Amino acid sequence: VSKVLGLALGILAAIGGFVDIGDLVFNVSAGATFGYQLMWVIPIGVVGIIVYSEMCGRVAAVSGKAVFDAIRERLGFAPALGALVASEVVNLMTLAAEIGGVAIALQLLSGLPYRWLIVLAIVGLAVIIWTTSFDWLERIFGYGGLCLLVFAVAAVKLAPDWGKVGNGLLPHLPQNNKLLYAYFVIGLLGAALTPYEVYFYSSGGIEDRWSPKDIGLNRANAIIGYGLGGFLSFALMISGAALFLGHGISPEHLGTIALGAENPLGRIGLLFALVGILFAVGGASIDTVFSGAYNLAQFCGWEWGRYRQPHGAPRFTLTWLVLLVLALAIVSTGVDPVMLTEYAVIFSVVALPLTYIPILLVANDRTYMGRYRNRRLANGFGLLYLVVIMVVALTAVPLMLLTNVGQD
Amino acid sequence: LSSSQIDIGLQVLDRQLLDRNGRRCGKVDDVAIEGGAGGAPEVVAILVGPGYWPQRAGLIGKLAGWIGGGRRVRVDWSDVRKIDSAVELKREATELGLGRGDDRLRPYVDKIPGAGR
Repeated sequence: VSKVLGLALGILAAIGGFVDIGDLVFNVSAGATFGYQLMWVIPIGVVGIIVYSEMCGRVAAVSGKAVFDAIRERLGFAPALGALVASEVVNLMTLAAEIGGVAIALQLLSGLPYRWLIVLAIVGLAVIIWTTSFDWLERIFGYGGLCLLVFAVAAVKLAPDWGKVGNGLLPHLPQNNKLLYAYFVIGLLGAALTPYEVYFYSSGGIEDRWSPKDIGLNRANAIIGYGLGGFLSFALMISGAALFLGHGISPEHLGTIALGAENPLGRIGLLFALVGILFAVGGASIDTVFSGAYNLAQFCGWEWGRYRQPHGAPRFTLTWLVLLVLALAIVSTGVDPVMLTEYAVIFSVVALPLTYIPILLVANDRTYMGRYRNRRLANGFGLLYLVVIMVVALTAVPLMLLTNVGQD
Repeated sequence: LSSSQIDIGLQVLDRQLLDRNGRRCGKVDDVAIEGGAGGAPEVVAILVGPGYWPQRAGLIGKLAGWIGGGRRVRVDWSDVRKIDSAVELKREATELGLGRGDDRLRPYVDKIPGAGR
């Protein structure tokens, strides 16, 4: 029984941990701008993250290797160094955006000034990370993030035209605004496939001391957890579409996103939405700050992991502390977290191939994956998504420039 | 490749180093090979530390190596116990001069309550 319970708890945490500020911004904006026309992109992104999370989780369980170990081992020193620099820059941008999101959610809940809340958010996160074990970090933020399910209730209550919603699940091109549409396709895929998710997922498997016994747990976590997480993306897009489409409102503030729950459900809906957003972006802050420290430590070969305690992994510990301070500096400049999110998602897309190709390669390595190496299904999907990722990586920046970061 | 052979480029270079206690203590940043043309080349040592990065990535490697402090440590090939998904060593990291960055920082980290010593 305890095994089933553990599985269920892990999956719940994965659902709650799926959505971050990138998903919030892109899903609601996509709904507000194109209605239900972009619904079809969500399952494509979700299946992609399932395929690659399952793969890197399996590699971690069988070989004890995390994603950046694989990157350095398979790409060699110089390209891995490039990947490291790119991933650290994108991670830091994402971290700053998530922390800005935490401060905004706290502001909407408390009414205190934003500037103080940035500091409170950073200090709070540092204390929470320092005092809490890895599995509790995952649980607290994962379960808190489940409050976002209020958007699913809201989506139903908003009574959308389900026929149109269904049509949106079939890939198609719009009559006008094709460039902006393409920009949103890239953004939605980028938000679903962000590289930090696989860095965190694989290193998290090692933090949780996965062994080949946990292959099933890994698969269930990836498929059910992320699958149902994608369900939240649907809810967000529907609420964006039902509430904002045709009103000229684009959710440039996280508070606007919470309106998607307040409008149909009242104050209680707003409260759930804000608490859900707080835990979702708070959890994502921890994922990103750890990813930054995991990557540097794995590139250099340092001891790493929350499970080692600060005493056992001093440089890893110093790295995440420094990253929090740098994020504080960025957010304190007053940069808009939603804008920062868009840039972070689009730039992360460019770094995707450098992250996903090595995962596919090590997952096929007979010498240490043995009978757990990729089968035809994983390789088929893996290759298919590699093509998707290449297209997305090559078109992301041109589309960002052509659409003026989605403002046109 | 039979099971008794190893591919230095694929199975040794850029792999994680573990000391005899399983402590992570650096990467195989380069390998030292002696002999070569005319004779049988032989791997004599594993080279560890940012000081070896310039020879891996030119100017960028030089910059990164300088930021990393430029330390160089040579580990004799005879100190390698096993080559698996990581390269495992026969001795402790401190004996070999590895993992010094962590050892130097540890006393400061330990001053903060809850560092788990």
